[in-house]
Amino acid sequence: MAAFLARRLAQGIIVVALVATIVFLLIHAAPGDPFSASLENPAITESVRETWRREYGLDRPLGEQYVRYVQNVFRGNLGFSFSLQRPVVDVIGDTLPNTLLLMSVGLIGAFGLGIGTAIVQVRKRGRRVDRLLGSLSLTLFSVPDFWLALLILVGFAYWIPIFPIGGATDAVMYDMLGPAGKLADRAKHLVLPALTLALLYYPLIARHQRAALLEVLPEGYISTARAKGVGENAVITRHALRNALLPVITLLGVAFPALLTGAVFIEKVFSWPGMGLVIINSIHSRDYPLLMAAVLMGSVFVIAGSLLADVLYRAIDPRMRDEF
Amino acid sequence: MRCRSALTVSLLGILAGCVGGDRPDVRAATGGTLVITASGDPETLLPPLASTVPARIIGDLVYDRLAEVGDSMNTVGDAGFKPRLATAWTWATDSLTIAFNIDPDARWHDGPPVRASDVVATWHVYSDSANGSPYAGSLASIDSVTARDSLTAVFWFRGRSPMQFYDAVNTMSILPAHAIGSVRGAALKSATIARAPVGSGRFRFVRWNAGASLEIAADTANYRGRPGLDRVIMTIAPDGNTALTRLLGGEADLIEQVPPTSIADIAKDSTLRLLLSRGLDYNFVQFNLRHPKNRNRPHPVFADRELRRALTAATDRRRSVQNAYDSLANVALGPTVRAYPTTDTTLRHIPYSPDVARRTLDSLGWRDVDGDGVREKNGTRLEFTLSVPGSSRSRVTMATLFQDQLRQVGAKVNLENLDFTTFIDRETRRDFDAVFGGWRVEASPGGIRQTWSSTGSRAANGTNYGSYENPLFDSMVDSALSATTLPGRRRWFTQAYQTIIDDAPAIWFAEPKRVMAIHRRIETRGLRPDAWWINVADWTIPPAARIPRDRTAPAN
Repeated sequence: MAAFLARRLAQGIIVVALVATIVFLLIHAAPGDPFSASLENPAITESVRETWRREYGLDRPLGEQYVRYVQNVFRGNLGFSFSLQRPVVDVIGDTLPNTLLLMSVGLIGAFGLGIGTAIVQVRKRGRRVDRLLGSLSLTLFSVPDFWLALLILVGFAYWIPIFPIGGATDAVMYDMLGPAGKLADRAKHLVLPALTLALLYYPLIARHQRAALLEVLPEGYISTARAKGVGENAVITRHALRNALLPVITLLGVAFPALLTGAVFIEKVFSWPGMGLVIINSIHSRDYPLLMAAVLMGSVFVIAGSLLADVLYRAIDPRMRDEF
Repeated sequence: MRCRSALTVSLLGILAGCVGGDRPDVRAATGGTLVITASGDPETLLPPLASTVPARIIGDLVYDRLAEVGDSMNTVGDAGFKPRLATAWTWATDSLTIAFNIDPDARWHDGPPVRASDVVATWHVYSDSANGSPYAGSLASIDSVTARDSLTAVFWFRGRSPMQFYDAVNTMSILPAHAIGSVRGAALKSATIARAPVGSGRFRFVRWNAGASLEIAADTANYRGRPGLDRVIMTIAPDGNTALTRLLGGEADLIEQVPPTSIADIAKDSTLRLLLSRGLDYNFVQFNLRHPKNRNRPHPVFADRELRRALTAATDRRRSVQNAYDSLANVALGPTVRAYPTTDTTLRHIPYSPDVARRTLDSLGWRDVDGDGVREKNGTRLEFTLSVPGSSRSRVTMATLFQDQLRQVGAKVNLENLDFTTFIDRETRRDFDAVFGGWRVEASPGGIRQTWSSTGSRAANGTNYGSYENPLFDSMVDSALSATTLPGRRRWFTQAYQTIIDDAPAIWFAEPKRVMAIHRRIETRGLRPDAWWINVADWTIPPAARIPRDRTAPAN
């Protein structure tokens, strides 16, 4: 196991280095630079722009910029954001926890709802409930994420105003609330964006889980369990589900990187102060340090997701332990 | 204004002292919370480094300038300015220095009094090129700033100009020297004051939750009087629909730019009202008068003045603007805006007439010889590419109509939608045939030198991207900017604008209006076109109209 992890870690480092290098070259090859937008302001002189470029080392040859960047990363220095005028580490420190919170709750909801729906569909397979839930999943799967987010926002925050209209906390009242009030306020603000995420992700999980369950149900050990008189619910949840979880774990591995970037539209619509928006803004503003940090984190998350899936495979299916 | 009456100043001070107290009648008259939505965080709260609108709003409410441009936006001399940190000012007899008397009652929000040494320190922060302030260029006319005594700051100018006073007071928000300390250069961006400002304005900074909200509160003992509101909270809503929903749902009080598609929704809401005012933007199709690949050569099509005039005559600007903005924009007058008191609204324009355009093109030798609908001359087709920033829906709409209008007179326009950074890159390299550009002008019309005169065409960093050059226009602009009276400046500018309109280096399209939406309970004062927020400290909410969040202000 240790050898496997070491091997995967080494592969991961190579992947991160490759991705970072490619993105570094691509973003510098794109037209314009971080200070192009300032050219729209005639009051900003060229000498000021030169000061800015010197300050951020953009006046140096590209190779030197790259070497400096790599050296800084190894020292734990991710640079200084041009657009937000703050150390990148501080920006990530502010936004990453919000994104992780939203995505964790959203994904837990999605997996819970997806697996639950699949179980109900399998129990009622071929009946109206199965078809209804299947159609609902397909419909939600087809809905554009920003549209669903807007619909939920307007529906539950404006037409039926039971939840706040975006944000992570109440901008007016939050600081005057006690600890319990603050917790409740955060929870209230989390409901709609997390619900949206759950509704967007769950159909995929439900469809995979349903197919996987249907695949294992004809297996001999299931027939044995039924022959022993085990109830249908127990057959599905205790015997079939565990063996049918592997495809869903693969999905979890894929969904994990989305913790970082997958909620861009949700964050935008719900004004959720997370990483997704920061990444998009860093692309628009050519904020190289911030964008590179986001790419590095995205790569790390992809590798972590894949590793997590492998470890879970091993935990669920003892046969896979031999492969490590 | 050579000198202000000391008596007036004293009376103002007494009045400010009364208002600043916490007597019950004052408490009743003041109070409430204004919630503004902004599309993004300020990049910094240190005015010398700030340029985005959210940063300017907070900066202007937390900090003071020595004097403020008045609502009439008259920036000639000092007559149009209102005192702020400076209660009075005195010009030297040779007009090369101005001595500002600092209000002795003015204090920083952390306690120390505001002194002339703060003004000197501020000038160094803004003007030192190592600090990279985007405003350094605007202070080029000032040679130095010194402190004559603790309450007198003296500005020394390199030469005389009607813009001296504007240059001295408009650019700089006065910073506390004790909070800046010896921090210089790149370290300024990371200084504590860049994220937790300490000013002398009528609002003081409270907190900034990055990506979520920013709060400032009334400075109840301020030397200029307590603000009418208790708090101003800026909430961040990157999505326009969410910002609108917050306004309609009662979670926000103000949106500074309402999209045209949302106006009907706001008009239906009895708790909201729309405020329409003049804006400071204008947009235009700008022709490149030099060859995009070799600036030493004239452009094969647009170097000809008469051809440019013909293309202008073929353009129905009124219909285009109406299609893109409905009634929320005027047809642009030229390289200026109506908000300037120096703009003459009766300027003559090349009238829309496709027939005249066709006849002119014929007479210039541009004829459709091969019958493909596009005119040719000496083997050159009347065809060009118009670059448009795809992020501007209104410009894309007008560009599409422009394409169709020119097609009708035998000119082919190829539209090129570009992302904003690429668009700017293309403009600055002057690698284009025509661009659908736009400018947001400042409180003073002086920026026209950079954007349309020969100076802006020839300088490496000039922003006259189309390379229009006319010595007559340049001299008229120079005369306008040297005029010491408002009528004189207006007269010269009128001639300059007429000259450039007749030369048609661009087709002036729209001058969008500013459409703000605000909760009805808020009583506004003095919405200056370039900075609607500048008088927020004078806004009030009548006690009877207050809603629950108006009564939840933290204790000061």
